[in-house]
Amino acid sequence: MKIVKLGMPLLMVAAMAGCSGGGEPAGKTTITFSYLWSGTEAEALEKIISEFNAGQDKIVVKGVSSPDSQKQLASMSSASGTFDISDNFGNAVGSWAAKGILAPLDDLLKDVDTGAFAPAAMNQMRYRGKTYALPISVHTFQLLYNKKLLDEAGVKPPTTTEELAAAIGKLTKTDDKGAITQLGLGNPSLPNSLTTLGYAFGGTWDGTDPAAPAPTPADPGNLAALTFWQDTITKKYGADKVAAFTAGWGQYMSAQDPFYAGKVAMVIDGEWQAVSIPKNAPELEWGVTAIPVARPDLAGATQLTASTLFIPANSKHKQEAAVFLKHLVGEKAMRDFNLALGNLPARTAMADDPAFARIPNFTAWMEAMKSPKVRSLASAPYAAEYATDLGSAFDSVARGGATPQEAMAKVADRGKNYARD
Amino acid sequence: MRATERAGRRRELLRGLAFAAPFLIGFAVFIAYPILASFRYSFTDFNLFQEPQSVGLDNYARMLSDERMWQSLGNTLYLTALGVPLTIVIALAGAHVLNMPVRGQPLFRALVYLPTIVPVVVGGYLWRWLLNAQYGFVNHGLNLLGIPGPLWLENPDWSRPAIVLMSLWTVGGTMVIYLAALKDVPADLYEAAAIDGAGTWRRFTHITWPALSPVTLFQVIVTLIGFLQIFAQPYLLTQTRLNTSSGGPEDTMLSYAMYLFQNAFVFLKMGYASAMAWVLFLITLVITAVLLLTSRRWVHYGSR
Repeated sequence: MKIVKLGMPLLMVAAMAGCSGGGEPAGKTTITFSYLWSGTEAEALEKIISEFNAGQDKIVVKGVSSPDSQKQLASMSSASGTFDISDNFGNAVGSWAAKGILAPLDDLLKDVDTGAFAPAAMNQMRYRGKTYALPISVHTFQLLYNKKLLDEAGVKPPTTTEELAAAIGKLTKTDDKGAITQLGLGNPSLPNSLTTLGYAFGGTWDGTDPAAPAPTPADPGNLAALTFWQDTITKKYGADKVAAFTAGWGQYMSAQDPFYAGKVAMVIDGEWQAVSIPKNAPELEWGVTAIPVARPDLAGATQLTASTLFIPANSKHKQEAAVFLKHLVGEKAMRDFNLALGNLPARTAMADDPAFARIPNFTAWMEAMKSPKVRSLASAPYAAEYATDLGSAFDSVARGGATPQEAMAKVADRGKNYARD
Repeated sequence: MRATERAGRRRELLRGLAFAAPFLIGFAVFIAYPILASFRYSFTDFNLFQEPQSVGLDNYARMLSDERMWQSLGNTLYLTALGVPLTIVIALAGAHVLNMPVRGQPLFRALVYLPTIVPVVVGGYLWRWLLNAQYGFVNHGLNLLGIPGPLWLENPDWSRPAIVLMSLWTVGGTMVIYLAALKDVPADLYEAAAIDGAGTWRRFTHITWPALSPVTLFQVIVTLIGFLQIFAQPYLLTQTRLNTSSGGPEDTMLSYAMYLFQNAFVFLKMGYASAMAWVLFLITLVITAVLLLTSRRWVHYGSR
């Protein structure tokens, strides 16, 4: 049975090879834009698509919301795919480019200045010197805090990791049995929190050369960040106690989200919160500040991720897809799209765009985009495996099951078997 | 005469094949081909997009030193060792209870079977909340009994029992098969035993258990295969947001099938995943063979 389960998708892939776009209006080329977004995000995108279609008479773009990333991969594995342009995340670019499923954009988009996009995002878009994707949105991480809880505890928003440790201490409350009733620093995503803290301690997860990335889990800065987490949370309050408290957390970004509900005083999270909080927790008084750093020279250190647009290598209409891609990453479409989604525009010059200043607290994340210390995880072929192994190791560290050194040595060891190209 | 007979037979054969064609073609294309293809891929480095590169036995050799593979295999065997006996015992006991002549018996039977028809994804999300350490009904119930509930999904010692617990929820299917088998045990045997003065336990050990043993063998094999391939339950219980692949606390909920899936569709290591699939197939084959060999000692056919 297992073998059948494994074999089936391969067959479905083969079966899908024949499907492709249908009839075309006279003189116009129809291209398909399959995107992973859905709901209100898809609506915003459809508006941009119809504007593009109305604005010229050579290309008709057909938008298809298809949030299934397995389907996306399947389409790209056959000789002729089902779409000409699609989206994904920055960390997938290297793996896909290495497998030859992305069309290089250097020649297709000669007149697009890649220097205009956030450099940390562009690092993810390149593989072996060629550009395989362009960012439409970027995301940065900053420290969100509950104003009321900080005021009550007499805590000022921390700027250094020492202050952060002290703040966590003051903002974590336990009852007479030692059970946690309020946690100083939450973790909406432990991997995001810990990789970001790694940068804040001067660490790097993929070496120092973006052109030749290699996993460096045991970098001293990374170990310092993991030790910080163990010392200020796990060891101080007990792994079991933290787990018991975490177990009662509601759904992320729902009205029961622990940060929204005041169970957690601070979280490291992305700019989408600026749109989500007014919607899901309108009563919450919150602020946002830069990620606290270990040394003054690290000020502004944080993590950036990217949402990308790419053209699959099996597209039959690469030129037309490129024209549309250029439109999407142009200033107007980028502004409209990111305003609708509450994401950061990927163009550095738009970091000061007044349109975004209307979103409360949004500028903190916009600032992070401009910081020379902003880093991104490498989009190398090993990215997916590395992320999974780091996820397991982080869990182990946060649970107190392993020391940071042990956990990261194990990841480094597994790294020897990662796909290199 | 002979020639026409032969022609007639041939025509009959062709006609038979034509009628069986929908299955045969489906079997060849959707079952036989993928099985053979996965066997070939297991000796290659294959990422779904580029031509498979032959690597000989590398994939199998790498499995030996893959700590995570061993952990996932260990987890799976743990689940199997705990889950199979519990399934059999509970199903058998439950079948006896359902066999009692009480009012509303059909209703109880339907209720017991009900979870089996709930889609596993729905059941998965339901159990995530039932097993929630703070608000879950499981721990609420335990608290009422004065037992402090464990952190089911957060504690590495309790995460695997949590998966077994969730799997046992659908024990109704096994129970219903036992119930049907119970009805087939000849009543005269019980009557004879009663006359001889056999008590409930002796009637069970000397009549019911031997008479049910062929069904038990079937149930053990089916349940065993189910547990060795377990995927949906741990996958749903460990799923984090954005579908990031996770193995639960200390990777204790990473089943073999989940790790296989990760390799295939997250890391795109189709060759390695194919090798893993074949190893699981061999493990299943060996355990089943051992079970069938021992069955001569404890399975009784033709009790009547």
